[in-house]
Amino acid sequence: MQEARIAGKSAALDEAIAEAAKLIAASRQTLIAGLGTDVAGAHAAIALAERTGAVIDHMHSEAVLRDLDVARSSGIMLTTPTEAHVRADALLIAGSDLDGALLQHLQGVIRSRERGADKPGERSMFWLCPGRKRATAPMDIAIKRIGSDPRDLPVLLAVLRARIGDRPAGDISVSAQSLDEVADALKKARFGVAIWSAAALDPLAIEMLCGLVSDLNATTRWSTLPLAAQDNAIGVMYACGWMTGLPMRTGFGRGYPRHNPWLFDSTRLVASEETDCLLWISAYRPAVPPWPTPPTTIALTGPDARFSSPPRIHITVGCPGRDHDGVQYSPSTGTLAAVAAARPSEAISVADVITKLAAALPEREIT
Amino acid sequence: MLTRIAGGRVIDPANDRDDVNDIWMRDGRIVEAPLGARADTTYDAANKIVMAGAIDIHSHIAGWNVTTARLLLPEHHWAAASRPATTPLAQAGWSAFHTGRAYAGMGFTTVVEPAVSPHYALHAHLELADTPIIDKAILVVLGNDDYLLSLLRNNESSAAVEDYVAWVLDTSRAFGVKVVNAGGAAAFKENVRAFSFDDVVPHYGVSSRQIVNSLQHAVHDLALPHPLHVHCNNLGLAGNVETALTTIAAADGVPLHLAHLQFYSYGKEGERGFSSAAARLAESVNAAKSVTVDVGQVMFGQTVTISSDVLRQFNARSQARPRKWVILDGDGNGVGVVPYEYRRNDFYNAVQWAAGLELFLLIRDPSRVFFTTDHPNGAPFTCYPEIFALLMSRDLRAEWIAALPPAAMAVTTLASITREYTLPEIATMTRAAPAKLLGLSDRGHLGPGAVADVAVYEDDADRARMFRAAALVFKDGELVVRNGEVTQHRYGRTLTVAPERDRTIDRRMNAYYDERYGLADDFVKVPAHALGRPEPFEFVPCRT
Repeated sequence: MQEARIAGKSAALDEAIAEAAKLIAASRQTLIAGLGTDVAGAHAAIALAERTGAVIDHMHSEAVLRDLDVARSSGIMLTTPTEAHVRADALLIAGSDLDGALLQHLQGVIRSRERGADKPGERSMFWLCPGRKRATAPMDIAIKRIGSDPRDLPVLLAVLRARIGDRPAGDISVSAQSLDEVADALKKARFGVAIWSAAALDPLAIEMLCGLVSDLNATTRWSTLPLAAQDNAIGVMYACGWMTGLPMRTGFGRGYPRHNPWLFDSTRLVASEETDCLLWISAYRPAVPPWPTPPTTIALTGPDARFSSPPRIHITVGCPGRDHDGVQYSPSTGTLAAVAAARPSEAISVADVITKLAAALPEREIT
Repeated sequence: MLTRIAGGRVIDPANDRDDVNDIWMRDGRIVEAPLGARADTTYDAANKIVMAGAIDIHSHIAGWNVTTARLLLPEHHWAAASRPATTPLAQAGWSAFHTGRAYAGMGFTTVVEPAVSPHYALHAHLELADTPIIDKAILVVLGNDDYLLSLLRNNESSAAVEDYVAWVLDTSRAFGVKVVNAGGAAAFKENVRAFSFDDVVPHYGVSSRQIVNSLQHAVHDLALPHPLHVHCNNLGLAGNVETALTTIAAADGVPLHLAHLQFYSYGKEGERGFSSAAARLAESVNAAKSVTVDVGQVMFGQTVTISSDVLRQFNARSQARPRKWVILDGDGNGVGVVPYEYRRNDFYNAVQWAAGLELFLLIRDPSRVFFTTDHPNGAPFTCYPEIFALLMSRDLRAEWIAALPPAAMAVTTLASITREYTLPEIATMTRAAPAKLLGLSDRGHLGPGAVADVAVYEDDADRARMFRAAALVFKDGELVVRNGEVTQHRYGRTLTVAPERDRTIDRRMNAYYDERYGLADDFVKVPAHALGRPEPFEFVPCRT
């Protein structure tokens, strides 16, 4: 069952797409944002952006680029969720605000080590600055908590890193003795894995944590597992990467892809009214644009989206892996994986909408 | 549709041909000159050189590793405004789209991505599906994966290893198998920091030698078209020529391909304890007839090293230029991405440059030494034309040598080598021989029945200019390039194999993934429909 609306009124799908094509053709600067879609949807969106000089951004770019920035300015040790599952004998979790889905993911990674592990055995867990919500412990493994207030995390990491390198450190709220105990335990791990959610961490804290892990590798093995943002943010980043060489927050206004995390931040573009047409995509759930006054909007979302005011065009799209087959990033394997439709339906995919939309554009829409 | 390429100098060593003649094509294949027939289209190739489309057997062009390198180095490839906007994503500096176009422009029509971890196969195939013009293939990396190491630890039969290899090839839609620092990545996870051919992987109790040997025989016994592709231990270290010599000796008459041998051609002579041992290594290759090698030539400039040799890349972090890196401890091998700049005034880099050329020039049989820079590890593949020119002119080499540190040149034999490659030798190395090595009987030559992949070059005394921009390139008989620029945008196929296997392995693998990871093994599979192109694969038969 296709569902399309123009200005809040039911319309034929083709009509809505033709209208959307007109809006994009007439736009001076189109923004393609949200971008919660499978690889095929992202592929079509990026091709459309190139053709129309649009900007591409993802609703979780902030977190994704925060992790990427650490790699592209210093360096990062990474491992896969599967390798962490079979190998990690120590886990170092940093920061609070691991929301429900991320907790679920974490739980998937650190299942019981009775099965599969190369060397079944006890796993030690350390949680730096978990915040006050005690209920967040996702598993029945004893967790050693160090510090509490997430705002203390950058300092705690710095001091811990100093102690790991046997360098002196100043006094902080955590006692020197317990810091040294933790530093010692981390050094004794045979293969430790540090875990965080970039959405909850200060960029400098992530860099400090990655540096700490790098330092631990002087004598033993440690790696990291940054928890992946939702809505296929990582899969979209990969597609951007091989199609343009660059991640999201890339604009095609000059005819070639240009990446600038500030210039092409969708929130900034909307607030400064530098965009006059928004193509908003959220196929995994009915997320709506998070801005009070978005520009003229074409929205492709899952069913039951609640807009404060109806977008100019709204097309209900299928969910990859439920309504149609797709390829997306799998947080449990850390790879792009094909997913078959669990309940195949007639709902149109993002890729198909955009392909039709591109076909409806006039030959040259920019001068 | 009958097409004629008229009056060029046809250099086709696979068919012992070097004469002025016509090449005829129909329905994507080379055909005999038809008696009395008239071509629908004729392309004038008078005074030009006509060769089969070139084949690159080892170039890191797609997959998680490559895209991680792209994302790591946004500043390395951002200015790209000058390219014409005639094809999709034409302006992207380092994209899958650009890779296909750049290869085609030089007359290459088939390229092998040699290092894909099985779990990342779908990712690599998605990128290859966006790589236009050329045909392509992937090699899967085995040899640090728990399943194989466990089979060896438990002394399972060679049939069990073969079934597993066949299963991996089928699920990942790969073309062949590569082993990278066999056992080294697994040992590194156990905190081992140096790993040689007879070292033993902790926990599994198997040596690198055993791993290479078992995979070599599995690939051979499965009759795969391409022999085992080996990245040896101790890459880049002074004195590592011993590792390469040991590995060559272990080949024991069974086909084995050694990748980017230049990176293993180092002795410990001289004041700095670092010298070229390429001459010695070349002698060993000359004597070992079952062994083939590619060079991994270094050229000077900024690049990025992308290697599944995670142990080596970890140890190379301190030499990163610029100072940043990604090291992945993966399910099997993992990968390290470390940017690097080869500098003319760097003693070590100059020795590396010379050692590669020594291998090219001292290995006598051009059908056993292959043309690579191990893109992008030694240099980007776009440097190939400059390397062709260096191989074909000792004067040009002398000019380069004069500008390099004398101390470095003193620990190599390059200055004393007078050999110059001929055009037929270049055609052997880049066409006839790679087709044979890959078991592709209908490529790399211009005989009737061959795929109509043809490159036509100006016979320019400036060989670098000649090879940089092919005058004409035909893919499957269709004109796709004129004067180095893509004129017709199309997509090629990905070559893959489907060796026989005992189907009970499928159930065993399913149970293994469930037991080890608590996951279904679906995520490792590469369904053709996921790639978004019609008929993306071409199945190549096993050897008979």
